[in-house]
Amino acid sequence: MTNDPWLRALLEGAAVVTALMTAVAWITWLERKIAGRIQSRLGPTMVGPFGLLQPLADAVKSMQKESIVPRDADALLFWLAPPLTLALALGTAAVIPFSPGLLASDVDIGVLYALALSGLLSFPIWIAGWASNNKYSLLGGMRMVAQGISYEIPMVLSALVPVVLAGTLSMGGVVRHQAEHGWFVVSAPGVGFVAFLVFLLTALAEGNRIPFDIPEAESELVAGPTTEYTAIQWSLFAAAEYAHSLLASAIAATLFLGGWDGPVLPPAVWMVLKTGALFLLITWLRWSLLRLRSDQLMSLCWKLLVPLTLLLLLGAGTWVTLAT
Amino acid sequence: MGYVFATFQSLLATLRQGLATPSTVEYPKAKRPRAPRLRASFALTKDAQGDENCIGCKKCEKVCPSEVIAVVASKKPSPVTGKPRAYATDFTLNLQACIVCELCVQVCPTDAIVMVQEQEGPGFDRGDLVLTMEKLYRNGESKERLAWSSASVLGEHQKPAEAPAPAQRPAHAPVPVPAASAEPPGKEPAA
Repeated sequence: MTNDPWLRALLEGAAVVTALMTAVAWITWLERKIAGRIQSRLGPTMVGPFGLLQPLADAVKSMQKESIVPRDADALLFWLAPPLTLALALGTAAVIPFSPGLLASDVDIGVLYALALSGLLSFPIWIAGWASNNKYSLLGGMRMVAQGISYEIPMVLSALVPVVLAGTLSMGGVVRHQAEHGWFVVSAPGVGFVAFLVFLLTALAEGNRIPFDIPEAESELVAGPTTEYTAIQWSLFAAAEYAHSLLASAIAATLFLGGWDGPVLPPAVWMVLKTGALFLLITWLRWSLLRLRSDQLMSLCWKLLVPLTLLLLLGAGTWVTLAT
Repeated sequence: MGYVFATFQSLLATLRQGLATPSTVEYPKAKRPRAPRLRASFALTKDAQGDENCIGCKKCEKVCPSEVIAVVASKKPSPVTGKPRAYATDFTLNLQACIVCELCVQVCPTDAIVMVQEQEGPGFDRGDLVLTMEKLYRNGESKERLAWSSASVLGEHQKPAEAPAPAQRPAHAPVPVPAASAEPPGKEPAA
């Protein structure tokens, strides 16, 4: 390996992004298969064995299509929004520890960094909604900002529970603490488990997934902020959504399920298994539940989740004080 | 708390559905048993000697409500018996506008046009949706693909049980108007 730190960072980044985009491509296949089975269909079957090459076919198809920019759209922002969304969604991957050695950068503020990027994700979607110059896009973008900003609060508060319990903001540090003292989802009595559920819910809301897909709301807003997008730009939004879901699963696995920690199997395999299990859970939820109304979403956030996470934080602090 | 209960209920329902065998079958590879009376497309038939049944009478062309049948008829010696008789020299049925009412089958005096159980495949061209005479005779080649009905079978079904006597006329039937009291046709009411 070269000693030039910039080249090294570039290579590592390329490796992480490639691995992640490959994973994103095939979780779309997984999601379509699961959706199919839940709806008593077969899902993709024709392209390759079990339809496994379907994501490649879809990628080629979307690259061949024409990218249409509406006449009255703000062209610069319209072009800027999809890559920005994907970049912010993928950026989280830098701090996710897949095994003790497989970690792009073990910064001291890994949790903070991941949460900050996740919070910023509302803004390129808002940009897309505004730049499209379309009422559905605009409404979807406004809903996205409202939902993103509201749900950031319980998300950060619930993610602070493992931080308080472990006494570190580093992702690797949280996992190492769990490897020694047990996974947070079971160790701190009740607090860790409830915080895990809240984190998963708020991550769904941040990632704009059913049952919180209010910004997209096909029955009301066509496709929300992505209404005017076509071809590869639309695919970038779709990839960003899946990447966000996948990385939210990975963060939840890291913070609450002990990350790479586990018996017998190598650490990276454990991490992938936990992330995959959480992603399956998210997919299962998606194809089972209905969309909430905007007011239900807000009342769930402000009346239940925010007080609950504050109490959880208090509980975590008490637990740490009593334990030491 | 009703929400929480309903959430778990729906999760259970989708799980049960997800683990069940899918109802979808991959159509060209696997075919479900068809309804015995399914009628999908058309065919022209030949008799036992291999002579074409169609006599070119154009009854089907006239009865067709969508006017999708076109018949060209002429007389020529039969290739089987050698005797001259009427034939359809061209017969086309355009499926683009066909409403599959089966009236052409019902009026056919020689059971020449019948229906088959197999659907026509999709095409790349509008012309692919026109059943030419060649396609129609090819459809009629395999006897097991033919649908249950033909003009004579349908005629048998529709034959009244017995000729109704005048006294047994149903109450809702229109009473025939005596010719003398009837309005002369075409007379306009006075302005």
